[in-house]
Amino acid sequence: MGYASTIKVPFGPQHPALKEPESFIFEVEGDIVVNVTARLGYVHRGVEKAFERRTYIQNLYLAERVCGICSHAHTTCYVQAIEELLNIDPPPRAKYIRTIIAELERLHSHSLWVGVAAHEAGFDTLFMYTWRDREEVMELLEAISGNRVHYAMNTIGGVRRDMPAETFPTVKKHMDSFEKRVNEYSHIMKTEQTFLKRTTGVGILKPEDAVSTCAVGPNLRASGIKEDVRADEPYAAYGETPFQVIVHGGGDVLCRALVRIAEMTESINIIRYALDHIPDGPVRIRAPVAVPAGEAVSRVEAPRGELIHYAKSNGTIKPERYKVRAPTLANIPSLAKTLIGAHLADVPLILAGIDPCFSCMDRMVFVDQNKDKQWVWNMEELKRHAKVERN
Amino acid sequence: MEKTSEISDRLREHLKDSIVEMKNPRERRIFLRVKKEAFRETLEYVVNDLGFKHLSAITGVDLGTEIELLYHVVLNDAVVLTLGFSVPKEKSTTRTITDLVPSAVLYEREVHELLGVGFEGHPNLIPLVLPEGWPQDVYPLRKEWQLEQLRKIALEK
Repeated sequence: MGYASTIKVPFGPQHPALKEPESFIFEVEGDIVVNVTARLGYVHRGVEKAFERRTYIQNLYLAERVCGICSHAHTTCYVQAIEELLNIDPPPRAKYIRTIIAELERLHSHSLWVGVAAHEAGFDTLFMYTWRDREEVMELLEAISGNRVHYAMNTIGGVRRDMPAETFPTVKKHMDSFEKRVNEYSHIMKTEQTFLKRTTGVGILKPEDAVSTCAVGPNLRASGIKEDVRADEPYAAYGETPFQVIVHGGGDVLCRALVRIAEMTESINIIRYALDHIPDGPVRIRAPVAVPAGEAVSRVEAPRGELIHYAKSNGTIKPERYKVRAPTLANIPSLAKTLIGAHLADVPLILAGIDPCFSCMDRMVFVDQNKDKQWVWNMEELKRHAKVERN
Repeated sequence: MEKTSEISDRLREHLKDSIVEMKNPRERRIFLRVKKEAFRETLEYVVNDLGFKHLSAITGVDLGTEIELLYHVVLNDAVVLTLGFSVPKEKSTTRTITDLVPSAVLYEREVHELLGVGFEGHPNLIPLVLPEGWPQDVYPLRKEWQLEQLRKIALEK
C-alpha cells in the first residue's frame, strides 16, 4: 500500500449507523480498515443479576424488556426454559399463537432492517416505503395484543390472551397487502442500480469464517450455511408448519438483504398456515409458582438469529442463575472479520448490515370514555405534561 | 432421542472416569460435567471428533466456594451439549479456549469481568460490558455482591 503508518478513527459511542450506543475504533491505512476493536456495554443494565432477585412471574416482564424489537423471542425463550424445568407442556393453541406473534415480529423487525440498510446505502425512498409498510404490521400486533412493542403474550404455561377467530380475516387481509409490498422490495433490491452498486461484494463473510466465528441468523444463512433453530430444533408450532430455510451463497450485504426479504415471504406463509390450522382449546395451563431444582437450556430463532437462555433453579420462587445470550453478541466476531479490508465509507453499511438491535419510540393513547374520543400525545406534549406535573 | 443417546454413549465410552455428572433431561440436550484437568481434552474431542463446531455461549455460575463454567456447544442438527467444570473461587484461572474456538473471545471476557475467572492465554482480557474505571475486585455476578452495593459503586464511580 505504501503508507508509513495507520490512523485510528473512532466511531461512536454516539453512532452514525445505529441509533444505539456502541463504540468502535478503526485502524485505517489510507481508507482501508486494517484493524477494529469494539467496546460494548454502554447500555448494560445488569439484567442477569436482576433475574436472580425476582420471582419467575416478575421475570416474565423482565425478559420481555431485554429487547425492544424481539421482545417476544426473549419471552418465548424464557417460558420454554421454565416450562421445561416445571415439566409442563403448553396447550397446542398457545403454541400456534406464539408462532403467529413470532412471525409478525420477524416481519416488522426485518422490514425495519430493510429500511435501515436502504438508508445506509443512500436510498432513502425505500427507507420511507418500508417504514410506512412496517406500520401495518405494528398496528396488527397492537390489534392482537394491545401493544406495539412489548406484546406481553407469553406466560409460563401458555399465552395470556386468545386470538379470536374473528380477527383471522383481518390478519389475512393485511398479509395479502403486505406480501405485495415485500414482492415490490424484492424486485427493487434485485434490479435497482442504486442499491446493487452499493451492496454487491461489500462486507463479504466467507462460509468457513461464518462457521469459525460462530455467526448466527440471517448473516450466517447469507454465507450459505443452512442453520435455523426453527427447523433444526422445532419449538412452538414450527414442527407442524412447512417452511423453507432461506440460504444465499454470496455472503455480502446484498445477500443479507435478499435472505431477509425472502424470509419475510416465508413468515407470511407461516402465519397463513398457522391461521388455517390452529387447533381449538385452552390457551394456558396453570403453572406452579415455585420451580423444582434443575437446569435447562432454551433456544429460539429470533429475527437476528439464535437466541440462547440458560436457567438454573433451586426449588424456590426465584432462579439461582439466569443467562441470556442475544444474537447480536454472537455476530460481533464475524462483523470484525468482515470489516477488516473494507473501505471506511462502507463501514456504516456493513455495520447496519448485520442488523444490530435498535430502540423504539414511545407513544401514549388517551381515551375519553364519556366523549368516545381518542387522541395521541407526541413527545413535545408528553414533555410539557411532565413539566406541569412536576411543578 | 437416538442421536442424543448415541452421543452420550460415545462420550461415556471416551471419557470414562473423567465424568463427574452426565444428564440427558430430554431429546437434544446433554449436560456433562467433567473434572477440571480433563476439560481441555474433552472439549477437543467434542469439537473435533463429534463435530460440535458452534459455541453458543459460556455461562459462569457462582456455586459458593467454586465458580462453575458451562460451555454451550451445538451440533449442526441441534444437539446442545452443555460442558462444564468448576474452578476454585479464589484466584480462579483456567486455560483459554480461543485457540480452539476463536469466537470464545467475547464470552471469556464477559465471564472474566462479571465473575472474576482468569483465562490464561487469552489475547486481550479487557472488560467487555462494565464501565471504565469499575473497581477491579468487584465481580457483579458473584453472589456476595448485592444489587444495592453495585448500584452504589456505579453511582460513586
